[in-house]
Amino acid sequence: MREFRFERPGTVADAVRRPAPGTAFLAGGTTLVDLMKLEVMTPARVLDINRLPLRGIDQTRDGLRIGALERMRDVAAHDLVRRRYPMLAQALEASASGQLRNMASIGGNLLQRTRCGYFRDVSVPCNKRAPGSGCPAIEGENRMHAVLGASDACVATHPSDLAVALVALDATVRLRSRAGTRDVALRDFHLLPGTTPEREHDLRPGELVTDVIVPDLGWASRSVYVKIRDRQSYEFALASAAVAVRRDGDTIAEARVAVGGMGTRPWRLPAVEAALAGRPAAEASYTAAAEHATDGVRPLRHNAFKPALMRRTLVRALLELERIR
Amino acid sequence: MSVSPIGRETARVDGPLKVTGRAPYAADYHPDGLVHGHLVLATVGRGTLRAMDVTRAEAAPGVIAVYTPFQPVRLINTFQGFGAENYVPLQDTTVRFRGQIIGLVVAGTFEQARDAAALITADYAGTPPRTSLADAGPGRSQDIVQVLAPGVASIDDVLRAGPVTITTTVTQPAQHHVAMEPHATTATWEDDQLTVYSGAQMPQRSAPAIAAGLGIDPAKVRLICRYTGGGFGGRSPAWNEAKLCAAAARALGRPLKVVLSREQVFTTVGHRPAVRQTVRLAAQADGRLLALAHDSDAEYPAAGGWPLIPAQHTSGVLYRTPNLRLDQRLVTLDTPSTWAMRAPGEAPGSFALETALDELAARTGVDPVELRLRNYATQHPVEGRPFSSKHLDQCYRLGATRFGWDRRPARPRSRTDGDWLIGMGMSTAAYPTDREAATVRVRFHDNGRVSVASGTSDLGTGAWTVLAVAGADTLGLPVEVIVPELGDSALPPGGVGAVGSAVTANTMPAVRAAGRAAIGTLLRAAVENPRSPFHGLDPADVSYRQGRLHSGRRSMGFDELLRAIGTPALDAIGATDPAQDSPYAFHSFGAHFCEVRVHRLTAEIRVNRFTSVFDVGTVINARTARSQFIGGIIWGIGHALLEADPIEPDGRYAAATMADYLVPVNADIPDIDVHWLGYPDPHISESGARGLGELGTVASAAAVGNAVYNATGIRVHDLPITLDKLL
Ligand SMILES: Cc1cc2nc3c(=O)[nH]c(=O)nc-3n(C[C@H](O)[C@H](O)[C@H](O)COP(=O)(O)OP(=O)(O)OC[C@H]3O[C@@H](n4cnc5c(N)ncnc54)[C@H](O)[C@@H]3O)c2cc1C
Ligand code: SF4
Repeated sequence: MREFRFERPGTVADAVRRPAPGTAFLAGGTTLVDLMKLEVMTPARVLDINRLPLRGIDQTRDGLRIGALERMRDVAAHDLVRRRYPMLAQALEASASGQLRNMASIGGNLLQRTRCGYFRDVSVPCNKRAPGSGCPAIEGENRMHAVLGASDACVATHPSDLAVALVALDATVRLRSRAGTRDVALRDFHLLPGTTPEREHDLRPGELVTDVIVPDLGWASRSVYVKIRDRQSYEFALASAAVAVRRDGDTIAEARVAVGGMGTRPWRLPAVEAALAGRPAAEASYTAAAEHATDGVRPLRHNAFKPALMRRTLVRALLELERIR
Repeated sequence: MSVSPIGRETARVDGPLKVTGRAPYAADYHPDGLVHGHLVLATVGRGTLRAMDVTRAEAAPGVIAVYTPFQPVRLINTFQGFGAENYVPLQDTTVRFRGQIIGLVVAGTFEQARDAAALITADYAGTPPRTSLADAGPGRSQDIVQVLAPGVASIDDVLRAGPVTITTTVTQPAQHHVAMEPHATTATWEDDQLTVYSGAQMPQRSAPAIAAGLGIDPAKVRLICRYTGGGFGGRSPAWNEAKLCAAAARALGRPLKVVLSREQVFTTVGHRPAVRQTVRLAAQADGRLLALAHDSDAEYPAAGGWPLIPAQHTSGVLYRTPNLRLDQRLVTLDTPSTWAMRAPGEAPGSFALETALDELAARTGVDPVELRLRNYATQHPVEGRPFSSKHLDQCYRLGATRFGWDRRPARPRSRTDGDWLIGMGMSTAAYPTDREAATVRVRFHDNGRVSVASGTSDLGTGAWTVLAVAGADTLGLPVEVIVPELGDSALPPGGVGAVGSAVTANTMPAVRAAGRAAIGTLLRAAVENPRSPFHGLDPADVSYRQGRLHSGRRSMGFDELLRAIGTPALDAIGATDPAQDSPYAFHSFGAHFCEVRVHRLTAEIRVNRFTSVFDVGTVINARTARSQFIGGIIWGIGHALLEADPIEPDGRYAAATMADYLVPVNADIPDIDVHWLGYPDPHISESGARGLGELGTVASAAAVGNAVYNATGIRVHDLPITLDKLL
C-alpha cells in the first residue's frame, strides 16, 4: 500500500470541491482497500465519504431512491425493495458474504472493479490497470471472462450482481460534481472497454454517485435473479439472469431481461425481451427466446461454455418466475 | 469412580483459549525490539537474476536491511536427496520457479517492509520454464511394484484379454493446503541460543533442520508451536522462509518476524502436485478382478519436493487380484516445491481407482457395493500379510443401510426431483497406519495436577485433548486434572510427528508406559522418603488407584504425598517402539456414500447427503474424531468439485489467492452422517487405536464423482468436476 492523504469531508459540496487527480472516494472500502493493499489502486488522496448524508431508501416522484451509502444488507432487507423489486433483493443476497454486505455500499457496488486475476496481480501486464501493457487474459486463463462486449484490449467481466438487476429495471444513477447534478441511465453509465479499458464508467473526475433511482414498474414485483456459480455462496457469477415478466393470462405481454457474468458491463437483452413478448408463458417460448441472448458472442479458450450456460440460465430464471404466485 | 474418557465426547481442552483469541500463534509473539520482514518473490518462471535495484527500497521509510542474492545473508544448503527444497534462498542468482524467494526486506513495521518490498525491481535472463504436465511425456519411474500370477509374463497380456477391460485416465491440477494460519516465523536470539516461533507438524525435526541451515548446534535451537493453525502436510518440513528469518535475525542482532501474505503462501511453501493417472482393469463378467494396473505421472519440481505415490496405498491395498502392477512416475517441472497434502497419495490415487471401479460396475452391471465385496481382500495384495483388523465389509453393509443405497437407480440419469437430476455414488477409503516409536513424560505435581508432555504438535486436530484423555485414562483421573504439553522442541525427545495420521495411535501407548513409570516413581518415593506416611513399607503393599496411594487403611492423594515429602513434582519418561516386522498389515478403512443433485438446465452440482462408515480401531475422542472425518469428507467434496490452481506457461499460478482458489463454503456442505464401527485393533497396541486423521479425505472425491455419473450419465475424468463439463 502506498502512502496517501486521508480526508473526511462533512458535506457533499466539500467532497466534490477539489477534483484533484488521484483522488478516490472511500465508502465501504471492500473494493478500494483490497486493491490498495495489492497496489492495483494507488490513490494519492482518499476521501472518506461515510459522513455524507447519502442515505435513505424512499419513494420519490421518479421512483425508488436509494442513497449511495446505503449498505447492501440494508437495501436487501428493505421492505419496499423486497416487495416491489424482489430481483434486487435477490441479487444483493447472492452477492459476496454477510460480512461484506454489512460493509459495502450501493454506490461502491456499482463502481467495483473487475475480478480478472491479471488485473489484480501487479506482476503481470493488464491494459485496464496499466494502459497499453497488454491483456494476458485473452490467451490466458479466461474461464470467468466476458463473451459479450469484449475488445482486443480487454475481456474482463463487470462483476456486480446488483447492476444486472438495476439495468433490467432501467435504473439511473444520480451524480454530483462541482458543476451540478445530473442523472445517467445505468445502461449508459458503464462503458465498453474498446481501446480504453481503463475507462470503466461515465464518471467525471471528482464526481460522486449520490443516489440510485429505480423507476416504478408495478409488475417487477414478480421478478427473479438467478445466479449460477461454482460454489453456492461467496463467489462471482459464471452466469446470472435478472428477469421480470408482465403476463396477460398465459401470454407474456412484456419482459425485462438482463444477464451477468457474460458481458464487459451489465448486459440488457432487448432482443430476448422482444422475442418473449406475445409468446405463451412456457418453456418452449423461453428456449426459443433465449437463442437471441447469444447474438454476437465471442467465446475464448476456457469460456466456450458460457453462451449455452447463459441461454439455460435464462430459461431457468423464466421457469422460476412462473412458479412465483 | 472416575469413568474412562476413552471413546467419549471430550471437548477440546484448548477450545476456550482459541475461541477467545488467547492462544498465541507464531505471529502473535512480540519480543522486545522486534522488526518485521517481507519477502520478495521472483516473477519469472526460470532463469537467472542479472541485477536487482534495491535503492528505492533501502531509502524507504523505516527500512533496516535488504537482503538479496547480491547482498545475501548466509544460509547452508543441507539437502540430502530427500526433503523439501533442494536449495536455500539468496545463495545464488538462479530462479527455479516463479514465486521463489529472491529477497527479504526488513523494516520497523510490517507495512513499511511490505511497501518497500514493492519498490524492488529485478532484471532477469529468462528461459522458458517447463510447467505443463499435460505436455510432458511419461516421467521416470520410482519403484515399480508388480505381482503376477504363475505363468503370466506381462500384465498387459491379461489386461488385453479381458473378458471385461476398463482403461480410465484421470487428471487433477495443483492443489494447495491453504491452512487457516498463513506461514509465519518469529525468531529471537539470546547470545547463541535461538528461539523460533513457527507453526510446525514436527517441531523436533524442524528445529534441527533450521539449526543445520544456520550451521549451528541443534541444541541451540528451540522451536515453539503450541498452537498451529492447520498443517495438512504443509508444515511438516521447515521451509526456507523460516530459515531465512532466523538467519536475518542473527545478522541483525534483533528479533525478526516474517509473515507470508496469503498470495505468497501459494508458492513459498509446498503444494499437492498435479498428477495424471491411468488405471487399467481386467475382470470376469461377474466383476471379479483378473488384473489391476495403476500408472501415474506426477509433477516433481526441479527445486525439490514431495514424490507423489498415489497407487501404493490404494490400488496396492484395496482389492484381491491375481495380477497387479503399480508404476508411479515423476515428471520434472519448473514449479514451486510440492509437498505432502492430507492423504498425500491416497486422495488422488483413490479417485483414480474408485472411478475405475465404478466404470467396471457400470460395464458389468454389478452393483458397486457388491463389486467391492466380490473383490474383497483379506490380506495385503502385495505383501501377503493379513490385515490386523479389517471389517470393511461391515462398513459397506452398514453404510448402505444408513444411506439407503437400495434406492439408487442402477441406470444413470433416471431419477429426478423437480428440475434436478439425482444420483448416488460410493467408494472405498483405506489409509495405512504408521507404527512409530514415541516418548512421553508424565509428571505428578503437588497441586493435584498431572502434566502429560509430548514433543508432538496439534494442528487443530485434537492432540491436546488426546494427551489429556490418555493421561486421564491411564491414571484414573478426570480429564480436567491433566495438563497436556506439546508444541515445543525442548520437550523430551521422541514426540511423534503430526503426519501420517500417526499421533494418536503411537502416542497413546507411550502415555500408558509413562503413566505406569510415573506411578512407579511415586510409589518408590512413598516407601523410601522418610517423611512419607508409607515410609518403610514393602513397595508391594502400596498401590495407586485413581490419584491416590493406598496401603491397608492408609490412603492419601498423590498431591498430599508430594506435599508431605516436600517434592513439588515427580515424573517419569515412558517410551514405546513397536516392532516393525509385524506379521500383520495395518490399515484403516471406510466406505463413503454420496447423493448429489445436478440441475437439468444449468448443471450446478450440489451434494445432498453424505454417509461414511469407518473402521479405525479404538476411537479415543469421539468429538475430535468426528471432526476429522467430517473435515476430510469436506476436503473430498472440494477435491471433486472445486479445488484447482491452473499453472500458466510462464509458471504463474492462475488462482493463487483465496478469492480464486475455491474451497467449499458452508452452503456447499450438507449434513454429513459419520459412523465408526469401534473394533479395537488387537495387534496394533494395547490401546487398539489406528489412525484416522486423513482417512475421511481418501476416496470421498470419487464418491462424489460416481454420484455425478449416476445422476447425469456423464463421467468427468479431469478434476475438478465443474458445471461447464456437464452442460
Ligand atoms: C471476496 C469478495 C466477494 C465479492 N463477491 C461479490 C459478488 O458476488 N457480487 C457482487 O456484486 N459483488 C461482490 N463483491 C464486491 C462487493 O460487492 C464490492 O466490493 C462492494 O459492493 C463495494 O462497495 P464499497 O462500499 O465497499 O466500495 P469501496 O471499496 O468503498 O469503493 C469502490 C469504488 O467505488 C468508488 N466509490 C464508492 N462510493 C462512491 C460514490 N458514492 N461515488 C463515487 N465513487 C464511489 C471508490 O472510490 C472505489 O473506486 C465481492 C467483494 C469481495 C471482496
Ligand atoms: S481482461 Fe482486461 S482486466 Fe483482465 S488482463 Fe485483460 S485488460 Fe486487464
